[in-house]
Amino acid sequence: MSELARWRKYRWQLIYGEAFDPAMQMALDEVLTYRVGRGERPPTLRFWEWTAPAVVIGRFQSLRNEVDLEEANRYGITVVRRITGGGAMLTEPGRVITYSIYAPPELVAGMSFQESYAFLDAWVVEALRALGIDAWYQPINDITSANGKIGGAAQARRHGAVLHHTTMAYDIDPEKVPRVIRIGREKLSDKGVRSAERRVAPLRQQTNLPRETIQEFLIRTFAERHGLEEGALRPDEIDEARELVRTKFGTWEWTAILP
Amino acid sequence: MHGEYKTPGGKLVQVDLDVVDGHLRNVRVTGDFFLEPPEALDVIAGALEGAPADASEEELAHRIAQALERLAGRVELLGFSPEAVARAARRAIS
Repeated sequence: MSELARWRKYRWQLIYGEAFDPAMQMALDEVLTYRVGRGERPPTLRFWEWTAPAVVIGRFQSLRNEVDLEEANRYGITVVRRITGGGAMLTEPGRVITYSIYAPPELVAGMSFQESYAFLDAWVVEALRALGIDAWYQPINDITSANGKIGGAAQARRHGAVLHHTTMAYDIDPEKVPRVIRIGREKLSDKGVRSAERRVAPLRQQTNLPRETIQEFLIRTFAERHGLEEGALRPDEIDEARELVRTKFGTWEWTAILP
Repeated sequence: MHGEYKTPGGKLVQVDLDVVDGHLRNVRVTGDFFLEPPEALDVIAGALEGAPADASEEELAHRIAQALERLAGRVELLGFSPEAVARAARRAIS
């Protein structure tokens, strides 16, 4: 089956527009993954809007090894832990583009995990290239370009579904990131890639386009390639996510599960 | 004690542990790797718990691989390996 045929087997739904706080974003990912896994909602593409800045750490990261909590606090940055692996990132409203794909596992059946990362972000690489950026997928989980890294993805396979979410830098604050996120020396030890790995090339600098324009272009690319219908979060999905914020994602027990 | 190892082209593994009476204790494995299911992390750390502090990298990796094989269902490590965890653990010990 061709790549496009795989995508086109489903009726994709779009969730886009409403802004949420960091813990709520984490909770919505879990709720929507669960709902798609149970067949209670169609395969979904969600673009995130943030009400507040956050450091989002990976499921398996040590909180204190990754985040300078005092500095984060000083900047008014909330620290949350997501359900997917991968590294810490700083997400500020208007400065990143983040989306989640909630899909049945059949979409990536027969692929290795590594292959599925490139497959699930192929439409984005295509869109960025159409915007004139020399972009490509850098295994395992990076979208990169001739000018530097653009973004990274992470996945979880839970509740009978695949969650794949990606954050791209639109207009990052280069001073703030190293102040709140610790980057150890060992992480930079791959020979030869030290500078390339570290250099981030935000989309604003590469396109001179407003964030909303890029986001709408991404959505249009997905729609033309895979088909996409307008959708919305259901009130019961939002309620369930709020409850998960109270019991899990907004708690210190979860955020510091690996202290 | 703390040790780190980054798999070339892959992810960072950090191991924190104590050595008590010649054995590894309070082993904690963290990093920016990917792992399914997430509960397998406890199995990885648990496999090193109690291991002799003079165990070789190969022996430590073998303990982890065996423990993961005993898990029911499919376990996926992406961006790291039992060998990477073992190397970070050795670095923590020495």
